[in-house]
Amino acid sequence: MGMLSGLTAVLSEPVLIVLVALGTLAGVYVGAVPGLSGTMAVSLLVSFTLGWETRSALAVMIGVYVGAVFGGSRPAILLNVPGAPAAVATSLDGYELAKKGRAGEAMGAATVQSSIGTFFGVLALLLFAPPVSELARSFRSVDYLLLALIGLLAVGSLSGRSLTAGVIAGCAGIFLGCVGVDAQTAVRRFTFDVVYLNSGVDRVVAMIGLFGASEALFQLADAKAAPVRQKIDRVLPPLGDALRFLPLTLRSAVIGILVGALPGAGGDVAALLSYDHAKRTTAHPAVPFGEGALEGVIAPETANNAAIGGAFIPMLTLGIPGDAVTAVLLSAFTVKGLRPGPNLIRESPEFFGFIVVCLLLAAIFLPLFGLTGVRAFVKLTEIPREVLMPSILVLSAVGAYAIRNSLADVLWMFLFGVAGYFLKRFGYPVAPAVVGLILTRLCEENYRRGVMLAGSVPAMLASVFKSPVSVILLALLVFLLAAQARTRLRAKRKDMRHAAGQLDGDEH
Amino acid sequence: MKILASAFCSCYNNIVYNVGKRGMRVKRVLAAAATVIFILSLAACGGNGASGAYPSRDINGIVQWGAGGGTDSLMRPLASLAEKSLGKSIVIKNMTGATGSIAAQYVSDAPADGYNLLMGAENPALYDVLDISALTYDDFDCVYLIGDETVGIAVGKDSPYTSFGELVAAASAAPGTLKISTTGVGGLPWEVGAFIKDVTGAEFLQVPYDSDASAKMAVLGGECDLTVCKVQSGLEDYRAGELRFLCMFSSAPVSAMPDVAPVTVEYPDFEKYLPWGPFYGVFVKKGTDAAVIDALSRAFSEAGQDAGYQDMLAGFNVNFLGLTGDDAANYIASWREGTVGALRNSGAIS
Repeated sequence: MGMLSGLTAVLSEPVLIVLVALGTLAGVYVGAVPGLSGTMAVSLLVSFTLGWETRSALAVMIGVYVGAVFGGSRPAILLNVPGAPAAVATSLDGYELAKKGRAGEAMGAATVQSSIGTFFGVLALLLFAPPVSELARSFRSVDYLLLALIGLLAVGSLSGRSLTAGVIAGCAGIFLGCVGVDAQTAVRRFTFDVVYLNSGVDRVVAMIGLFGASEALFQLADAKAAPVRQKIDRVLPPLGDALRFLPLTLRSAVIGILVGALPGAGGDVAALLSYDHAKRTTAHPAVPFGEGALEGVIAPETANNAAIGGAFIPMLTLGIPGDAVTAVLLSAFTVKGLRPGPNLIRESPEFFGFIVVCLLLAAIFLPLFGLTGVRAFVKLTEIPREVLMPSILVLSAVGAYAIRNSLADVLWMFLFGVAGYFLKRFGYPVAPAVVGLILTRLCEENYRRGVMLAGSVPAMLASVFKSPVSVILLALLVFLLAAQARTRLRAKRKDMRHAAGQLDGDEH
Repeated sequence: MKILASAFCSCYNNIVYNVGKRGMRVKRVLAAAATVIFILSLAACGGNGASGAYPSRDINGIVQWGAGGGTDSLMRPLASLAEKSLGKSIVIKNMTGATGSIAAQYVSDAPADGYNLLMGAENPALYDVLDISALTYDDFDCVYLIGDETVGIAVGKDSPYTSFGELVAAASAAPGTLKISTTGVGGLPWEVGAFIKDVTGAEFLQVPYDSDASAKMAVLGGECDLTVCKVQSGLEDYRAGELRFLCMFSSAPVSAMPDVAPVTVEYPDFEKYLPWGPFYGVFVKKGTDAAVIDALSRAFSEAGQDAGYQDMLAGFNVNFLGLTGDDAANYIASWREGTVGALRNSGAIS
């Protein structure tokens, strides 16, 4: 019923449809600028729409949210500069595709998959909200720890050729994640009595530096390379492709929905896990992962948008936000006199329906704006390097400052930029460092909490077997670890055999 | 500034006058001179904004907590109402980090001219005793104290405890086994834990979470036994029967949860610390001109009285205070005295 009255409410007022569309369009561009985020835009909208009628205000905010999550993929593909942490995984293969002149194809796939991901997320919100929210509620500290460990395994997938280099970069990220005032005991760690280090290293700042600034420096140093001519004859992915990738799309969407629904993890973790999942399960990619596999764009782009619907599940059923944007939306609800919590769906079903309809509309508008913009966006890569790269540096600085209006963050960003440049020069991947930074807190805080709750480390390990969720996660962790070890060993043996074969005079 | 402006006017007149009389060359020279003076007078306008009527330029509102959080949600609407009577914009910036001390430091580093407002919660009142920063609200003047919130002690719906007394008895029988989910050192549950220990002697195992939402979730999911919840953040769970409030940390019942007893019914000794709760206010650096503080206080008081804003405060379950001047200063001073006393007595701080 709520759904229906929500639908009629939207259809009877076409202005609401226009507002969703405008929000989505604005969101795409906000999301595309590193440092500007959907969270920022939505919180500005809360005060901007203060005098507005509730539904109009929510329509714009939901549009912006969906648009911004997708928008992050644009610069990730075109410039190797993810617009947000949730697009880090997209840049790995997306940018390789762009380097091969297939940016149009990558952007097309990202657009369509983001739209499909949003759609699946909404479907889950509509059909499975109660069981998913029950799952989120039963997630204990130990389970978050296991999830974070599974996330850390993604370092293997993000490492490229050398696992050692990836692990070293990942550890550097984990170390940097420890800097700042410890939230549990208020002890200062690695802050050297500098006030500005107390709040730690912002992961978005690190991301902008390691990806944005370092890429600009790297490309400026390599001045000979000419801009890549992009083919843009095929933007809309062929239907055959979409069908072929449907199983992967579905699995990525499930990962996105579940991870998005957990209050402690959001679209960034979902995108990483699904990229890792895609790499493990795609037996024969047309192009290897890390060199421009389309699957490497499809999986994270589906998952991070599916996480939107996921994040709405605990927000609408429990009043607990699933991520940063839903946290802001929660207070927007309260400002508007709604009372988010376990009673919302029962007491105001029309708003539940209204949100579902707005999300669906945004999913429909997304390809409209995403695909028509491709031709204009592609031009970016054809701008001469000596103009484009300094602009990226300036944009990176502005973005780093915008996050929390701090000059210290700009300095951090440049430090990360220089560090990233040298990492790249010496063949170290930068993505694992960002993963380490994202997951440190999740890992550490939940480990300590788990031990505190159980009383001792052995008791915490034993407590894993007390809940089915923990057992499943543990089994998954062990399985992934074993599978990873097996693949690596096999690859090594193959290399050795190959080398031996060459020594023998290569009889094959 | 006025002199410069009149100089500009006379120059302009000269140009007009001279165009007819002399040649193009003179006109150009004079035009250039006029332009220079015009730019100088513009620069003068921007440069000495402190003189003349306050405010002569936009004001920065530095919110010490993140966009979309509780503090932010109260400050943005208030600022957009206050700027109407101030006649200049209040540009809100969220400067988060280190329990809000980075924002306090920023405002304290800026000149005491009323162009940087600290929009904060109760946290700075305890910065020094928690060793977060040397700054406290003693280094700021309160322009407007919006209001405070009432907190309650909540357990999950399957909890065996039906009254605060039972909880205290259980915790006293086995100290440090009942788990209270907190938001870390210096957070609300941590503070209330100290009050409880001081008055009843009961001690809980403190388990820190990263936000009040996750601390609440820990009780809803059964990972922890109890938490301390603002009326605002627990009300809907209370109405749905998911959270059971054992008592309110107040001396009178709260209108939103009329059947929850105040803590003083079972333990009258809490009276000396009440009323207590997180509060929200707008501050300027100490040493700001009294006339500037007065102008700000008037503008914010007017904004706070706005019917729409009052509705919003009610929606957020904030108890309206609307204090300025000495009243605001006294409120904060006695809040600090009681809290620090309880923290010392309970051994939470030395």
